[in-house]
Amino acid sequence: MTAGTQVSGEVVTAAPAEPAEPHETRADLKRKDNRAWWLVLPVVVSVAFTAIIPLMTVVNFSVQDVFSPTERVFVGLDWFYEAVRRPENREAFVRTLLFSAQVLLVEIPLGVAIAVAMPRRGFWVSVALVLVALPLLIPWNVVGTIWQIFARADIGLGGWTVNNVLGIGFNYTLDSTDAWITILVMDVWHWTPLVALLAYAGLRSIPEPYFQAAQIDGASGWATFRHIQLPRLRGVLTIAILLRFMDSFMIYTEPFVVTGGGPGNATSFLSILLSKIAVGQFDVGPAGAFSLIYFLIVQVLCYVFFTVLTRSGR
Amino acid sequence: MLEWMVWTLPTALVFIGLAVLLVVMAVWARISPPVARRGFLRIETDRGDRLYIGLISAAVVLAGWMAVTDLSMWLALGCAVLVVVVIGIWG
Repeated sequence: MTAGTQVSGEVVTAAPAEPAEPHETRADLKRKDNRAWWLVLPVVVSVAFTAIIPLMTVVNFSVQDVFSPTERVFVGLDWFYEAVRRPENREAFVRTLLFSAQVLLVEIPLGVAIAVAMPRRGFWVSVALVLVALPLLIPWNVVGTIWQIFARADIGLGGWTVNNVLGIGFNYTLDSTDAWITILVMDVWHWTPLVALLAYAGLRSIPEPYFQAAQIDGASGWATFRHIQLPRLRGVLTIAILLRFMDSFMIYTEPFVVTGGGPGNATSFLSILLSKIAVGQFDVGPAGAFSLIYFLIVQVLCYVFFTVLTRSGR
Repeated sequence: MLEWMVWTLPTALVFIGLAVLLVVMAVWARISPPVARRGFLRIETDRGDRLYIGLISAAVVLAGWMAVTDLSMWLALGCAVLVVVVIGIWG
Protein backbone atom coordinates (compact mmCIF):
# COMPACT_ATOMS: atom_id res chain seq x y z
CA MET A 1 0.00 0.00 0.00
CA THR A 2 1.30 3.46 -0.87
CA ALA A 3 1.96 6.32 1.47
CA GLY A 4 -0.79 8.36 -0.18
CA THR A 5 -3.59 6.03 0.88
CA GLN A 6 -2.16 5.76 4.37
CA VAL A 7 -2.23 9.51 4.77
CA SER A 8 -5.73 9.75 3.38
CA GLY A 9 -6.77 6.95 5.70
CA GLU A 10 -5.48 8.99 8.58
CA VAL A 11 -7.54 11.98 7.46
CA VAL A 12 -10.68 9.89 7.18
CA THR A 13 -10.31 8.52 10.69
CA ALA A 14 -9.58 11.94 12.12
CA ALA A 15 -12.70 13.53 10.59
CA PRO A 16 -15.72 11.97 12.36
CA ALA A 17 -15.85 13.05 15.99
CA GLU A 18 -17.20 9.84 17.45
CA PRO A 19 -17.31 9.18 21.18
CA ALA A 20 -14.07 7.42 22.08
CA GLU A 21 -14.61 3.77 22.98
CA PRO A 22 -11.76 1.41 23.83
CA HIS A 23 -12.49 -0.90 20.89
CA GLU A 24 -12.60 1.91 18.38
CA THR A 25 -9.43 3.62 19.46
CA ARG A 26 -7.54 0.41 18.86
CA ALA A 27 -9.03 -0.01 15.37
CA ASP A 28 -8.29 3.63 14.65
CA LEU A 29 -4.68 3.13 15.58
CA LYS A 30 -4.38 0.36 13.02
CA ARG A 31 -5.70 2.59 10.28
CA LYS A 32 -3.11 5.28 10.96
CA ASP A 33 0.29 5.65 9.35
CA ASN A 34 2.12 2.46 10.26
CA ARG A 35 5.41 3.21 8.52
CA ALA A 36 7.23 3.60 11.82
CA TRP A 37 7.07 -0.19 12.07
CA TRP A 38 9.96 -0.30 9.58
CA LEU A 39 12.12 0.93 12.48
CA VAL A 40 11.63 -2.52 14.02
CA LEU A 41 13.35 -4.10 11.04
CA PRO A 42 16.88 -4.21 12.57
CA VAL A 43 15.49 -6.11 15.56
CA VAL A 44 13.65 -8.51 13.28
CA VAL A 45 16.81 -9.14 11.28
CA SER A 46 18.99 -9.73 14.33
CA VAL A 47 16.40 -11.94 16.02
CA ALA A 48 16.03 -13.90 12.79
CA PHE A 49 19.78 -14.38 12.65
CA THR A 50 20.28 -15.29 16.31
CA ALA A 51 17.04 -17.04 17.20
CA ILE A 52 14.67 -17.93 14.39
CA ILE A 53 17.15 -19.54 11.99
CA PRO A 54 18.79 -21.61 14.75
CA LEU A 55 15.32 -22.61 15.95
CA MET A 56 14.42 -23.71 12.41
CA THR A 57 17.54 -25.85 12.40
CA VAL A 58 16.49 -27.42 15.69
CA VAL A 59 13.11 -28.22 14.13
CA ASN A 60 14.91 -29.85 11.21
CA PHE A 61 17.11 -31.87 13.56
CA SER A 62 14.07 -33.05 15.49
CA VAL A 63 12.63 -35.10 12.62
CA GLN A 64 15.88 -36.71 11.45
CA ASP A 65 18.70 -38.93 12.59
CA VAL A 66 21.61 -36.75 11.60
CA PHE A 67 25.09 -38.20 11.27
CA SER A 68 26.43 -35.42 9.07
CA PRO A 69 24.85 -32.83 6.76
CA THR A 70 24.90 -35.35 3.92
CA GLU A 71 24.22 -38.52 5.92
CA ARG A 72 20.81 -38.24 7.53
CA VAL A 73 17.62 -40.24 7.77
CA PHE A 74 14.10 -38.88 8.10
CA VAL A 75 12.48 -40.46 11.15
CA GLY A 76 9.20 -38.57 11.36
CA LEU A 77 7.92 -38.08 14.90
CA ASP A 78 10.02 -40.78 16.57
CA TRP A 79 12.10 -38.36 18.61
CA PHE A 80 8.99 -36.53 19.77
CA TYR A 81 7.44 -39.79 20.99
CA GLU A 82 10.67 -40.50 22.82
CA ALA A 83 10.80 -36.99 24.27
CA VAL A 84 7.33 -37.13 25.80
CA ARG A 85 7.36 -40.82 26.77
CA ARG A 86 10.78 -41.59 28.21
CA PRO A 87 10.31 -41.99 31.99
CA GLU A 88 13.54 -40.11 32.64
CA ASN A 89 12.20 -37.06 30.76
CA ARG A 90 8.85 -37.17 32.52
CA GLU A 91 10.50 -37.37 35.91
CA ALA A 92 12.74 -34.43 35.06
CA PHE A 93 9.69 -32.44 33.98
CA VAL A 94 7.84 -33.07 37.24
CA ARG A 95 11.02 -32.31 39.18
CA THR A 96 11.56 -29.01 37.39
CA LEU A 97 7.94 -27.95 37.82
CA LEU A 98 8.12 -28.78 41.52
CA PHE A 99 11.33 -26.82 41.86
CA SER A 100 9.85 -23.76 40.14
CA ALA A 101 6.75 -23.91 42.33
CA GLN A 102 8.86 -24.06 45.47
CA VAL A 103 11.07 -21.22 44.26
CA LEU A 104 8.05 -19.00 43.64
CA LEU A 105 6.37 -19.95 46.92
CA VAL A 106 9.47 -19.04 48.91
CA GLU A 107 11.02 -16.17 46.97
CA ILE A 108 7.97 -14.02 46.21
CA PRO A 109 6.65 -13.68 49.80
CA LEU A 110 10.17 -13.48 51.20
CA GLY A 111 11.20 -10.82 48.70
CA VAL A 112 8.12 -8.72 49.44
CA ALA A 113 8.73 -9.11 53.18
CA ILE A 114 12.32 -7.94 52.80
CA ALA A 115 11.21 -4.98 50.69
CA VAL A 116 8.62 -3.94 53.27
CA ALA A 117 11.18 -4.25 56.05
CA MET A 118 13.83 -2.20 54.24
CA PRO A 119 14.30 1.41 55.40
CA ARG A 120 12.40 4.02 53.39
CA ARG A 121 14.84 6.91 53.84
CA GLY A 122 18.16 7.92 55.34
CA PHE A 123 21.63 6.47 55.50
CA TRP A 124 20.53 2.85 55.89
CA VAL A 125 18.78 2.83 52.52
CA SER A 126 22.08 2.57 50.64
CA VAL A 127 23.48 0.02 53.07
CA ALA A 128 20.39 -2.15 52.77
CA LEU A 129 20.33 -1.86 48.98
CA VAL A 130 23.98 -2.86 48.61
CA LEU A 131 23.65 -5.77 51.02
CA VAL A 132 20.51 -7.04 49.33
CA ALA A 133 21.90 -6.64 45.81
CA LEU A 134 25.20 -8.38 46.57
CA PRO A 135 24.17 -11.94 45.59
CA LEU A 136 22.88 -10.65 42.25
CA LEU A 137 26.33 -9.44 41.30
CA ILE A 138 27.91 -12.86 41.53
CA PRO A 139 28.11 -14.97 38.35
CA TRP A 140 26.04 -18.16 38.32
CA ASN A 141 28.95 -20.59 38.27
CA VAL A 142 30.65 -18.73 41.11
CA VAL A 143 27.43 -18.96 43.13
CA GLY A 144 27.48 -22.68 42.37
CA THR A 145 31.08 -23.00 43.48
CA ILE A 146 30.48 -21.00 46.66
CA TRP A 147 27.58 -23.24 47.65
CA GLN A 148 29.34 -26.39 46.52
CA ILE A 149 31.97 -25.68 49.15
CA PHE A 150 29.75 -23.93 51.70
CA ALA A 151 27.34 -26.87 51.93
CA ARG A 152 30.01 -29.56 52.19
CA ALA A 153 29.88 -31.55 55.39
CA ASP A 154 33.66 -31.75 55.86
CA ILE A 155 35.13 -28.36 54.92
CA GLY A 156 32.06 -26.18 54.25
CA LEU A 157 30.99 -23.76 56.96
CA GLY A 158 27.26 -24.31 56.32
CA GLY A 159 27.40 -28.08 55.99
CA TRP A 160 29.74 -28.44 58.96
CA THR A 161 27.50 -26.26 61.15
CA VAL A 162 24.38 -28.23 60.29
CA ASN A 163 26.16 -31.52 61.00
CA ASN A 164 28.18 -30.69 64.06
CA VAL A 165 26.40 -27.78 65.78
CA LEU A 166 22.77 -28.53 64.98
CA GLY A 167 23.46 -32.28 64.99
CA ILE A 168 21.46 -32.96 61.80
CA GLY A 169 23.02 -35.41 59.36
CA PHE A 170 23.47 -33.48 56.12
CA ASN A 171 25.37 -34.60 53.04
CA TYR A 172 24.24 -33.33 49.67
CA THR A 173 26.49 -35.66 47.71
CA LEU A 174 24.81 -38.75 49.14
CA ASP A 175 21.28 -37.78 50.17
CA SER A 176 18.85 -36.65 47.46
CA THR A 177 16.71 -34.56 49.85
CA ASP A 178 19.80 -32.75 51.10
CA ALA A 179 20.87 -32.08 47.52
CA TRP A 180 17.44 -30.70 46.68
CA ILE A 181 17.44 -28.45 49.76
CA THR A 182 20.92 -27.20 48.92
CA ILE A 183 19.88 -26.20 45.40
CA LEU A 184 16.66 -24.61 46.63
CA VAL A 185 18.35 -22.62 49.41
CA MET A 186 21.05 -21.53 46.97
CA ASP A 187 18.44 -20.28 44.51
CA VAL A 188 16.61 -18.45 47.28
CA TRP A 189 19.88 -16.86 48.38
CA HIS A 190 20.79 -15.89 44.83
CA TRP A 191 17.44 -14.62 43.50
CA THR A 192 15.25 -13.41 46.37
CA PRO A 193 17.19 -10.11 46.19
CA LEU A 194 15.82 -9.58 42.68
CA VAL A 195 12.25 -9.92 43.95
CA ALA A 196 13.09 -7.70 46.93
CA LEU A 197 14.59 -4.96 44.75
CA LEU A 198 11.66 -5.02 42.32
CA ALA A 199 9.16 -4.93 45.18
CA TYR A 200 11.16 -2.16 46.90
CA ALA A 201 11.05 -0.06 43.72
CA GLY A 202 7.30 -0.67 43.54
CA LEU A 203 6.82 0.33 47.16
CA ARG A 204 8.85 3.50 46.76
CA SER A 205 6.59 4.63 43.93
CA ILE A 206 3.52 4.77 46.21
CA PRO A 207 2.76 8.43 47.03
CA GLU A 208 3.08 9.38 50.70
CA PRO A 209 -0.56 10.67 51.00
CA TYR A 210 -1.79 7.07 50.72
CA PHE A 211 0.02 6.20 53.93
CA GLN A 212 -1.12 9.39 55.62
CA ALA A 213 -4.73 8.60 54.71
CA ALA A 214 -4.30 5.09 56.06
CA GLN A 215 -2.85 6.50 59.26
CA ILE A 216 -5.77 8.91 59.67
CA ASP A 217 -8.20 6.03 59.19
CA GLY A 218 -6.34 4.13 61.87
CA ALA A 219 -5.44 1.27 59.56
CA SER A 220 -3.31 -1.48 61.04
CA GLY A 221 0.06 -2.35 59.54
CA TRP A 222 -1.43 -5.44 57.91
CA ALA A 223 -4.41 -3.50 56.48
CA THR A 224 -2.04 -0.91 55.03
CA PHE A 225 -0.01 -3.67 53.42
CA ARG A 226 -3.02 -5.59 52.17
CA HIS A 227 -4.99 -2.67 50.75
CA ILE A 228 -2.36 -0.10 49.78
CA GLN A 229 1.01 -1.71 49.25
CA LEU A 230 0.08 -5.08 47.78
CA PRO A 231 -2.32 -3.79 45.07
CA ARG A 232 0.31 -1.30 44.03
CA LEU A 233 2.84 -4.09 43.64
CA ARG A 234 0.83 -5.94 41.00
CA GLY A 235 2.98 -4.70 38.11
CA VAL A 236 6.38 -5.41 39.60
CA LEU A 237 5.27 -8.73 41.07
CA THR A 238 4.03 -9.80 37.63
CA ILE A 239 7.51 -9.23 36.30
CA ALA A 240 9.11 -10.85 39.34
CA ILE A 241 6.95 -13.98 39.07
CA LEU A 242 7.55 -14.29 35.33
CA LEU A 243 11.31 -13.80 35.65
CA ARG A 244 11.66 -16.14 38.59
CA PHE A 245 9.47 -18.77 37.00
CA MET A 246 11.35 -18.76 33.72
CA ASP A 247 14.78 -18.66 35.32
CA SER A 248 14.03 -21.43 37.78
CA PHE A 249 12.34 -23.55 35.13
CA MET A 250 15.47 -23.26 33.00
CA ILE A 251 17.99 -23.46 35.85
CA TYR A 252 21.20 -25.07 34.71
CA THR A 253 24.51 -23.69 35.91
CA GLU A 254 24.09 -23.87 39.66
CA PRO A 255 22.88 -27.48 39.94
CA PHE A 256 25.42 -28.43 37.28
CA VAL A 257 28.23 -27.05 39.44
CA VAL A 258 26.91 -28.15 42.84
CA THR A 259 25.47 -31.61 42.21
CA GLY A 260 25.86 -32.30 38.49
CA GLY A 261 22.27 -33.55 38.56
CA GLY A 262 22.90 -36.09 41.29
CA PRO A 263 22.91 -37.93 43.57
CA GLY A 264 21.35 -40.37 41.13
CA ASN A 265 18.89 -38.21 39.26
CA ALA A 266 17.70 -36.21 42.26
CA THR A 267 18.54 -32.81 40.82
CA SER A 268 18.49 -33.60 37.09
CA PHE A 269 16.32 -30.76 35.93
CA LEU A 270 15.10 -30.54 32.34
CA SER A 271 18.00 -28.35 31.24
CA ILE A 272 20.59 -30.67 32.75
CA LEU A 273 19.01 -33.69 31.10
CA LEU A 274 18.78 -31.81 27.81
CA SER A 275 22.42 -30.80 27.79
CA LYS A 276 23.35 -34.36 28.66
CA ILE A 277 21.51 -35.55 25.53
CA ALA A 278 22.60 -32.71 23.25
CA VAL A 279 26.19 -32.09 24.29
CA GLY A 280 27.13 -35.19 26.24
CA GLN A 281 25.81 -37.83 23.86
CA PHE A 282 25.55 -35.49 20.84
CA ASP A 283 22.14 -36.90 19.92
CA VAL A 284 20.93 -33.78 18.11
CA GLY A 285 17.70 -35.39 16.91
CA PRO A 286 16.30 -36.41 20.32
CA ALA A 287 17.73 -33.20 21.82
CA GLY A 288 15.94 -31.13 19.16
CA ALA A 289 12.58 -32.77 19.85
CA PHE A 290 13.19 -32.46 23.60
CA SER A 291 13.99 -28.74 23.35
CA LEU A 292 10.92 -28.04 21.23
CA ILE A 293 8.68 -29.67 23.84
CA TYR A 294 10.57 -27.77 26.56
CA PHE A 295 10.10 -24.54 24.59
CA LEU A 296 6.39 -25.25 24.20
CA ILE A 297 5.97 -25.79 27.94
CA VAL A 298 7.76 -22.53 28.74
CA GLN A 299 5.64 -20.68 26.14
CA VAL A 300 2.37 -22.02 27.48
CA LEU A 301 3.15 -21.46 31.15
CA CYS A 302 4.50 -17.94 30.57
CA TYR A 303 1.54 -16.96 28.43
CA VAL A 304 -0.91 -18.25 31.02
CA PHE A 305 0.94 -16.51 33.87
CA PHE A 306 1.19 -13.29 31.92
CA THR A 307 -2.46 -13.31 30.88
CA VAL A 308 -3.76 -14.15 34.32
CA LEU A 309 -1.59 -11.59 36.06
CA THR A 310 -2.10 -8.69 33.64
CA ARG A 311 -5.74 -9.18 32.77
CA SER A 312 -7.25 -10.28 36.06
CA GLY A 313 -7.30 -6.69 37.29
CA ARG A 314 -9.44 -5.46 34.42
CA MET B 1 24.77 -22.76 1.67
CA LEU B 2 21.79 -23.98 3.62
CA GLU B 3 23.16 -27.49 3.93
CA TRP B 4 24.02 -27.10 7.59
CA MET B 5 20.35 -26.44 8.33
CA VAL B 6 19.54 -30.01 7.17
CA TRP B 7 16.18 -29.08 5.65
CA THR B 8 13.51 -31.67 4.97
CA LEU B 9 10.40 -31.20 2.85
CA PRO B 10 7.89 -31.50 5.74
CA THR B 11 9.65 -28.97 7.96
CA ALA B 12 10.11 -26.60 5.02
CA LEU B 13 6.38 -26.83 4.30
CA VAL B 14 5.57 -26.09 7.94
CA PHE B 15 7.69 -22.94 7.95
CA ILE B 16 6.39 -21.81 4.55
CA GLY B 17 2.90 -22.32 5.93
CA LEU B 18 3.70 -20.21 9.00
CA ALA B 19 5.19 -17.46 6.84
CA VAL B 20 2.16 -17.46 4.55
CA LEU B 21 -0.10 -17.33 7.61
CA LEU B 22 1.77 -14.26 8.91
CA VAL B 23 1.55 -12.49 5.56
CA VAL B 24 -2.15 -13.32 5.23
CA MET B 25 -2.84 -11.99 8.72
CA ALA B 26 -0.92 -8.79 7.95
CA VAL B 27 -2.80 -8.23 4.68
CA TRP B 28 -6.11 -9.06 6.34
CA ALA B 29 -5.34 -6.54 9.09
CA ARG B 30 -4.69 -3.97 6.37
CA ILE B 31 -7.99 -4.65 4.63
CA SER B 32 -10.10 -4.87 7.76
CA PRO B 33 -8.41 -3.95 11.06
CA PRO B 34 -8.94 -6.54 13.80
CA VAL B 35 -11.41 -5.75 16.56
CA ALA B 36 -10.79 -6.91 20.11
CA ARG B 37 -13.64 -8.71 21.81
CA ARG B 38 -14.40 -11.27 24.46
CA GLY B 39 -15.29 -14.90 23.71
CA PHE B 40 -15.33 -18.12 25.70
CA LEU B 41 -11.70 -17.57 26.70
CA ARG B 42 -13.05 -14.70 28.86
CA ILE B 43 -10.18 -12.39 27.91
CA GLU B 44 -10.14 -9.63 25.38
CA THR B 45 -8.52 -10.89 22.18
CA ASP B 46 -8.33 -9.83 18.55
CA ARG B 47 -7.91 -12.33 15.75
CA GLY B 48 -4.10 -12.29 15.95
CA ASP B 49 -4.21 -13.12 19.67
CA ARG B 50 -6.65 -15.92 18.97
CA LEU B 51 -4.46 -17.31 16.20
CA TYR B 52 -1.48 -17.37 18.56
CA ILE B 53 -3.48 -19.00 21.35
CA GLY B 54 -4.93 -21.44 18.84
CA LEU B 55 -1.56 -22.47 17.42
CA ILE B 56 -0.02 -22.91 20.87
CA SER B 57 -3.04 -24.95 21.97
CA ALA B 58 -2.76 -27.04 18.81
CA ALA B 59 0.88 -27.75 19.64
CA VAL B 60 -0.17 -28.78 23.16
CA VAL B 61 -2.82 -31.10 21.67
CA LEU B 62 -0.24 -32.72 19.39
CA ALA B 63 2.36 -33.14 22.14
CA GLY B 64 -0.25 -34.38 24.60
CA TRP B 65 -1.58 -36.84 22.03
CA MET B 66 1.86 -38.36 21.60
CA ALA B 67 2.30 -38.57 25.36
CA VAL B 68 -0.92 -40.45 26.10
CA THR B 69 -2.07 -42.43 23.06
CA ASP B 70 -0.86 -44.54 20.13
CA LEU B 71 -3.74 -43.48 17.88
CA SER B 72 -2.88 -42.01 14.49
CA MET B 73 -1.27 -38.57 14.42
CA TRP B 74 -3.58 -37.65 11.52
CA LEU B 75 -6.43 -37.82 13.99
CA ALA B 76 -4.43 -35.59 16.32
CA LEU B 77 -3.82 -33.17 13.47
CA GLY B 78 -7.57 -33.08 12.83
CA CYS B 79 -8.20 -32.25 16.49
CA ALA B 80 -5.46 -29.59 16.42
CA VAL B 81 -6.98 -27.90 13.37
CA LEU B 82 -10.38 -28.06 15.05
CA VAL B 83 -8.90 -26.37 18.13
CA VAL B 84 -7.42 -23.56 16.00
CA VAL B 85 -10.75 -23.03 14.21
CA VAL B 86 -12.85 -23.12 17.40
CA ILE B 87 -10.57 -20.69 19.24
CA GLY B 88 -10.32 -18.50 16.17
CA ILE B 89 -14.07 -18.17 15.78
CA TRP B 90 -15.49 -18.33 19.31
CA GLY B 91 -12.43 -17.77 21.53
